Amino acid sequence: MTTESEQQSEQQPQTGPASSDPQREPRASRDFPGMGLVKGLATTFKTMTKHAHTVQYPDQPPELPPRTRGVIALLEENCTVCMLCARECPDWCIYIDSHKETAPAPPGGGRERTRNVLDRFAIDFSLCMYCGICIEVCPFDALEWSPEFEYAEFDIKELLHEKDRLREWFWTVPAPVALDPGAPDPKEMAQAQKVADKRLTAQKAAEIVALADGGAAASGQPERSGPGRSGPAGGAEGDG
Amino acid sequence: MGQLVERTAGVGAGLATEDMILNIGPQHPSTHGVLRLRLVLDGERIVSAEPIVGYMHRGAEKLFEVRDYRQIIMLANRHDWLSAFCNELGVVLAAERMLGMELPVRASWARTMLAELNRVLNHLMFLGSYPLELGAITPIFYAFREREDLQKVMEEISGGRMHFMFNRVGGLKDDLPAGWLDRARRTIHAVRGRLADIENLIHGNEIFRARTEGVGVLTTEQIAAYGLSGPIARAGGVDFDLRRDEPYLAYGELGDVLRVVTRKAGDCFSRFDCLLEQTRVSLDLAEACADRLAALPQGPINLRLPKVLKVPEGETYAWTENPLGINGYYLVSRGEKTPWRLKLRSASFNNIQVLGELLPGHLVADMVAILGSMFFVVGDIDK
Repeated sequence: MTTESEQQSEQQPQTGPASSDPQREPRASRDFPGMGLVKGLATTFKTMTKHAHTVQYPDQPPELPPRTRGVIALLEENCTVCMLCARECPDWCIYIDSHKETAPAPPGGGRERTRNVLDRFAIDFSLCMYCGICIEVCPFDALEWSPEFEYAEFDIKELLHEKDRLREWFWTVPAPVALDPGAPDPKEMAQAQKVADKRLTAQKAAEIVALADGGAAASGQPERSGPGRSGPAGGAEGDG
Repeated sequence: MGQLVERTAGVGAGLATEDMILNIGPQHPSTHGVLRLRLVLDGERIVSAEPIVGYMHRGAEKLFEVRDYRQIIMLANRHDWLSAFCNELGVVLAAERMLGMELPVRASWARTMLAELNRVLNHLMFLGSYPLELGAITPIFYAFREREDLQKVMEEISGGRMHFMFNRVGGLKDDLPAGWLDRARRTIHAVRGRLADIENLIHGNEIFRARTEGVGVLTTEQIAAYGLSGPIARAGGVDFDLRRDEPYLAYGELGDVLRVVTRKAGDCFSRFDCLLEQTRVSLDLAEACADRLAALPQGPINLRLPKVLKVPEGETYAWTENPLGINGYYLVSRGEKTPWRLKLRSASFNNIQVLGELLPGHLVADMVAILGSMFFVVGDIDK
């Protein structure tokens, strides 16, 4: 097997007419020797006449979609220090410090309430794998993705973003994307639909009752066929 | 290495020659990463070759054992970084099989579409980098332009350009954005049209043909012995494609669109040719999935998972047809939230082992052509 390939590699021409090699299958593009090279040059010539596809970054900012995973932002007000993000992070790059504060019992009666207070929330972006598990798992939407990506530093220690810096990223978080029509309706829609349906059925029931009352009193009623037109009303029309 | 190495010393025509041991790599422009090839050369001819792997070993399988099934997806993205979505698929398919989950229809079709788009991304990379290794500098720019357009589509849905982190056990993470299917279809159409440019540039080029035809021929016995898979095996005549032979996701219903591309020659050129044709087939598959997704009724994209996901005791092997070959996950679970053992069978690990048998007898210049045509990713070799 090695001798075969030896022979073949020795027989191959470096450049020039392809048709001289008897082992090569004839192909349609080999109308004349050098056709492949000509085709390639024609392609590059055609590309040269077209507008360049290059985006001149940094003069032109890139167009990034809203879901782009650029940097993680934190809204401290939403954070209840449940520590789910720090626990689920596969790299353990979220550092959280907190303490409990006790609020005194309110004057009207009741007991003392304790709450968590966030002291330190830091994400080490030199460790972060940009997987998004912390954002997915946060039950209070305190963490969000932002498409910002220009935060490279000369010193690796600067890549540890503390609470204040993470808050600044929050103002760059885009709105959630509208979903494909094939996606199921959100739960809020179903709830609103239920309420609306209830109102509609109540309204229709009221209409029917009003009609039934009106039909019994009046004579020579104009033809009106409505949903669920009950028997006595029809009978009244027939008699009257 | 402490072993004794046999070297030939020749004395002829007054010139004493000796075999030379040359290390290609681990850092070398043509090794696609940190693959080390220890060659013994007699002049320009290779006497023996030994691929030495492990320079990028990150202990992925050990790291798997202490992470739960969502965190594992982050790790699984990264061994074959060019086909991240397909890697994630294997993990979630294994977990879903053990849990006995039945996927929602939309999830199945969306996964198939994204897997095929990922395949196109992977193949475009190699369609660009292989000519670069042989000295043709232009095709890589064309290929990367197509990749950028497709990565934009992938970024719009998942947020990432390379490590998508979009599969979850039970479906996908988020639903499709509004208008994404139309944009994806338009991009597929545009890429398909411009693929002809890449073909015209390099496919018929006489110099390219001269360097790749008849070079690095793999026989079907070698392919079977070393467990080669993927486009390089199919280019050698082995007609095996998991998408057709053991369909998973929605491939069972795409039988009329799926064409398994095989070639008989088994040389570098047929491997490249196989890749080019496979890209076209994948674009067709992605388009078929997009059409089907648009026609499906409203439905969820994932299943609701418990707060703590525990996979029941047992073991399973989930293998998928990744762009580079067969990628399998052998999952052994003891009923906890982390796997007991998750062994990863990666395609590139087997694919480059054949180099020890394939390279001897070739010239060093041919070695570059053969190495490039093996289409491997070092992260996949070393895990």
